[in-house]
Amino acid sequence: MSAKPRVLIVDDEERYRTTLRKLLTVREIEARDVGSAMEAFSELEKASYDVILLDVKMPEIDGIEALGRIKRDHPSVEVIILTGHASVDAAVEIMKLGGYEYLLKPCPIDELVGKIESAWERKAARDKRQKAATNPHEAS
Amino acid sequence: MLKISSYSIRRICLCAVPAMVLLLGAPLWVFAGPEAALLVLPVAGACFVAIRSLMKQVATARAQECFLDEQLIQSQKLAAIGELSAGIAHEINNPLAIIAQEIEWARLQFDGVTSDSPGLEEARDSLNEIAVQVERCREITHKLLDFARKRDPLIQGADLNKLIEDMAKLVEKESSQKGIPIIRDYRTDLPPIFTDPPLLRQVILNLLNNAVYAIQQNGAITIRTRIPESGQVEMVISDTGVGIRKEDLDKIFNPFFTTKPPGKGTGLGLSICHSIIVRLGGRIAVDSEPGKGTSFAVRLPIFHNAQKKD
Amino acid sequence: MASFRVLIVDDEPDFLETIVKRLLKRQVDATGAGSGEEALEVLKTQSFDVVILDVRMPGMDGIETLKEIKRKSPLTEVIMLTGHASVESGVQGMQFGAFDYVVKPADFDELMEKVSQATERKALHEARIRGTAE
Repeated sequence: MSAKPRVLIVDDEERYRTTLRKLLTVREIEARDVGSAMEAFSELEKASYDVILLDVKMPEIDGIEALGRIKRDHPSVEVIILTGHASVDAAVEIMKLGGYEYLLKPCPIDELVGKIESAWERKAARDKRQKAATNPHEAS
Repeated sequence: MLKISSYSIRRICLCAVPAMVLLLGAPLWVFAGPEAALLVLPVAGACFVAIRSLMKQVATARAQECFLDEQLIQSQKLAAIGELSAGIAHEINNPLAIIAQEIEWARLQFDGVTSDSPGLEEARDSLNEIAVQVERCREITHKLLDFARKRDPLIQGADLNKLIEDMAKLVEKESSQKGIPIIRDYRTDLPPIFTDPPLLRQVILNLLNNAVYAIQQNGAITIRTRIPESGQVEMVISDTGVGIRKEDLDKIFNPFFTTKPPGKGTGLGLSICHSIIVRLGGRIAVDSEPGKGTSFAVRLPIFHNAQKKD
Repeated sequence: MASFRVLIVDDEPDFLETIVKRLLKRQVDATGAGSGEEALEVLKTQSFDVVILDVRMPGMDGIETLKEIKRKSPLTEVIMLTGHASVESGVQGMQFGAFDYVVKPADFDELMEKVSQATERKALHEARIRGTAE
């Protein structure tokens, strides 16, 4: 487990994602940002991430569709959906697709950091369990 | 559209009856003598009554039609406003999110800075105020999305009297301290209804809360349930509060319409109630007299049409 | 086999203990939590049909807890339990998706009745989602 959570921000609004990256970096979170779902897919092939912050309303591939693909190709990554809309049905849809959490924009930075940390902890615990299951001798 | 008022009914009767008396009476007088002409009078009287009742029926039917048209237009209008405002809220949330982050970032830049310059303190202070106002906007947009979001009703059997009574008990603790008793007039043989209980509770609670607000101190709230026609139930919540001005009655279900001071209410309560009741297949109407009080009547079908689909 | 899974959240240990015992006696699979934070912790690993939630608690209050529960587990129904009823918080709670409000002291049979209605609602909701998923 790395010492800091590695976060990928996916949002088509440039100023939003760059400032968010700076704010997270100040809080000891390693963050990168991309402007579309396609860029996110290729970024995920290149490097490993713990948590993805995903916008819903994006041109071409929207967040819900992207969520499905990310969980299919990288099931261990935790995804937090940041949306302008919140509804019970959308939440159910997001949970069914394996999303960790959905937050309504604008979301206070402290709340967001808290969510990132708990998503990261969950992923770390699960990774450890899986490692133990596949390779019992290495687990400590 | 043809409008028939009771005034015009009277006019028609007043003109038609003497005309008939003259038209029929005069030839009869000439050909059959004055006794025969007298017979015209009871006939004319009967005609008068018949015409009047016919005209009244036409007028009532027209009025009902107008009322239903208005209800339909009103709910279509509100649905359109709801959709529009959700769209706007959604669009505003994005720039709002950026502003909120920029404030955070600017604060971090100020953090380490020490200077005697009074301008720096001023800048910090105004940054804080911007943050406060962003938070205010955030509350509004989030409530607006809540108002517009379509939660399809989940239909369960419920006892309307019980539903109301539970909410009345909740309100009563607070209202009785303000000298506002809640008077119950429940119809005991009310049939069970099929509706979405939590949504309906939300409406009842909102209406009771408004009633308490309208009274402030000393007065009374009356809750009545009845069967207006077969297949329906109705609850009427009346208060002895300040009332609503005639010119405001049309607007009270509009989102953002409020008579509360700025920051006290978003003006979404009644529009939420309206949209819920429409989704439950019912309708809500208001009647008010300034200085005397207001009553809200909510009519609901016993069976919700979503059941028939299943 | 217990029929309902219920989580009761209240900061008064005596009340909590009694109600959990009574529910268990009625074949309800009942669990207690002493605070909003604890409830959310329990909800991370276990799922419940219904949460009975005290409105006034130190730390995270009932409304905050309700919001989090509905966010994490939107299908779980929440019954709010209130002693010093504040109408304002009632309006808020219903708006955030509470199933019902019960004024303390609650009649036990009535509470059971509400728990069963809330469970029915959750089942209906699940059935609808399964229906539309196909």
